[in-house]
Amino acid sequence: MFLFEHDAKALLEPFGVRIPAGCWVDAAGLVDGVLPAGPLIVKAQVAGGGRGKAGGVRRAADAARAMDIARALQASPLGGLVVAGCRVEQALDGAREVYLSITLDASNAQVQVLASDQGGVDIECANAAALVREPAPLDATSIAEAVRRAAGRLSPGNREAVMAAGECLAAAFVALDAQLIEINPLFVLPGTDDAAPRWVAADAKLITDDNALYRQPAMSALVERAADRYPEAARKWQHGCDYVVVDPAGEIALLTTGAGLSMMLIDELRAQDLRPYNFLDVRTGGLRGDPQRLVDVLGWMREGTQVRVLLVNIFAGITHLGEFSRLLLQALDAVPALRVPVVARLAGPGFDEAVAVLGARGVKVETDLGHAIASVRMELARASAAPGGAT
Amino acid sequence: MSPRPALSLSVDRHTPVLVQGITGRAGQRHACMMRDAGTAIVAGVSARAASGPVDGIPVFADCASAVAATGAVASVLLVGAMQVLPAVTEALVAGIRLLVTPTEGVPVHDAVEIRRRVDAEGATWIGASTPGMAIPGEAKLGFLPDVSLAPGPVAMASKSGTLSYEAGFRLVQAGLGQSAWIGVGGDLVKGTRFADLAPWLARHGRTEAVLLVGEIGGNEEEEFAQAITASRLDKPVVALIAGRTAPDGVSMGHAGALTWGSFGTWEAKQAALAAAGVQVCATIDEAVHALARALGKTPA
Repeated sequence: MFLFEHDAKALLEPFGVRIPAGCWVDAAGLVDGVLPAGPLIVKAQVAGGGRGKAGGVRRAADAARAMDIARALQASPLGGLVVAGCRVEQALDGAREVYLSITLDASNAQVQVLASDQGGVDIECANAAALVREPAPLDATSIAEAVRRAAGRLSPGNREAVMAAGECLAAAFVALDAQLIEINPLFVLPGTDDAAPRWVAADAKLITDDNALYRQPAMSALVERAADRYPEAARKWQHGCDYVVVDPAGEIALLTTGAGLSMMLIDELRAQDLRPYNFLDVRTGGLRGDPQRLVDVLGWMREGTQVRVLLVNIFAGITHLGEFSRLLLQALDAVPALRVPVVARLAGPGFDEAVAVLGARGVKVETDLGHAIASVRMELARASAAPGGAT
Repeated sequence: MSPRPALSLSVDRHTPVLVQGITGRAGQRHACMMRDAGTAIVAGVSARAASGPVDGIPVFADCASAVAATGAVASVLLVGAMQVLPAVTEALVAGIRLLVTPTEGVPVHDAVEIRRRVDAEGATWIGASTPGMAIPGEAKLGFLPDVSLAPGPVAMASKSGTLSYEAGFRLVQAGLGQSAWIGVGGDLVKGTRFADLAPWLARHGRTEAVLLVGEIGGNEEEEFAQAITASRLDKPVVALIAGRTAPDGVSMGHAGALTWGSFGTWEAKQAALAAAGVQVCATIDEAVHALARALGKTPA
């Protein structure tokens, strides 16, 4: 899961990572934390890159001005991304900007340390030769060693700061089940008289592993507390399934299992100019005789104001379709407000039983996905022809 | 990157296979279903070994005694996500050479450690988060649905379970079928990556064409494109990549399916594969037709 900068900094701070004083400001102007004294930087919290270029980082002379900017930034999406909030933090001037990251190299199942004397907004465009790489096995001692090797190839003035920061980040990487920690820029402050290097993580990007939430109490607490900030992770943590609204104005709600087939179905529907509402990997194999997860999912689909039809597509490997069909009917009964026709396409063990169970309630079961999509098209046409249908 | 040991995927109906976690719900059911598909399931392993055999399959308390008694060389591990690392370690110590781990939700740091141990032993690991692998007509290690399996000329390699079920089903309906089916799984760090399969696919006699079932995120499809040339895989390759219209920065079900800027996108994968001579198809039906054409067959 991708953590917003503000939360990433809070999770990294206990490992000795130095961060500028700052707080979270929401769309209503409510402050979580303590607003530092000016001058300040207001930073839009978005789940993606290119924030600086898109105008999501602004300077403010004082707190009042910072609050105005924070509200303005949250009024509209930034570069197509929802602004979840703003981090308002102390501005630091006159620092050198260095790049340091620790990332999981999935190909080789090891860690990669990257460092550069030239940090800043666009490391991807920076001179590749200026980027130093060092591999390491996945343990804190080895990662810290790799950071030291990398630091040794940077300019002498940056070495000590990078090594000191790297020591903290290496420990955090292992302890937090991280996939990526990127500090860009890492501020190195000149003009110190004492021996201790002065460095501050001006920005922080942290991607962690959803599968490790059970052993990450600070992160699971965050997901529960800030479920609105992390809707996908919160749903997975609380309900055991993956659900993403891909088009708020979508007309076709999808009750599907399996990530790949669900994604492909969305691609194929869109290629035919149909509008799916959501992505779902409901994990039918994990229902274990309880319709609750299906009830939850159907409840979420009610939020889709343009939803006109429910397409169920289950290609079962483990799931028994007869059992699934009974759970589906129970769930539909439990969510009467979702009054849309159901098109079901099923394949796998227990198919005949599923046809009988669903057929008794007037739901026709298709065996071919193409035929099911044709039925969806028909239901959409019927809905738009009916009074009160889609406009 | 240090070279990885050669894969040992050539299982057949005589390969002795054990099932770790056989007394669990999934373990009992799928041990029997794999045996029904022709797999030589010779033993099970469970802490509850004292409760006796599972449908005639002897159950041992640990891998070492199961291997000593039966000569098992492969294992299907049907254990919880937190038990995968210790169970793999136990299997490796007992001398198992091929491990299939269907379990979803293995922490990625655990997967890194499993990879290190598997590589050190020169073993082959398929998974995690996979329905498994099969040589149709010979053996099935995992829970690929039988309706999607038939002996034939197409080797399937897939990240997604369900999308491969659908693609396999339509291959069978079109009268094609599979020479091998390897679900590499949807996780970020995994035992066998698409590129690791390329040399094996190039040599595999029964394979006349390849269907790559990929998805957005990571760089496995791009790596596979490079491996096609490096391993002289001169058989026709057709690819499907799910997630063309997925939003940026949101993990779509699979831990590995996360795009970031231009990295891991459909467009990047399509370009890399096309440059290596792979036909990337927009729909499942198009992929089946492309394979039929490449093999000189008209779909049924």
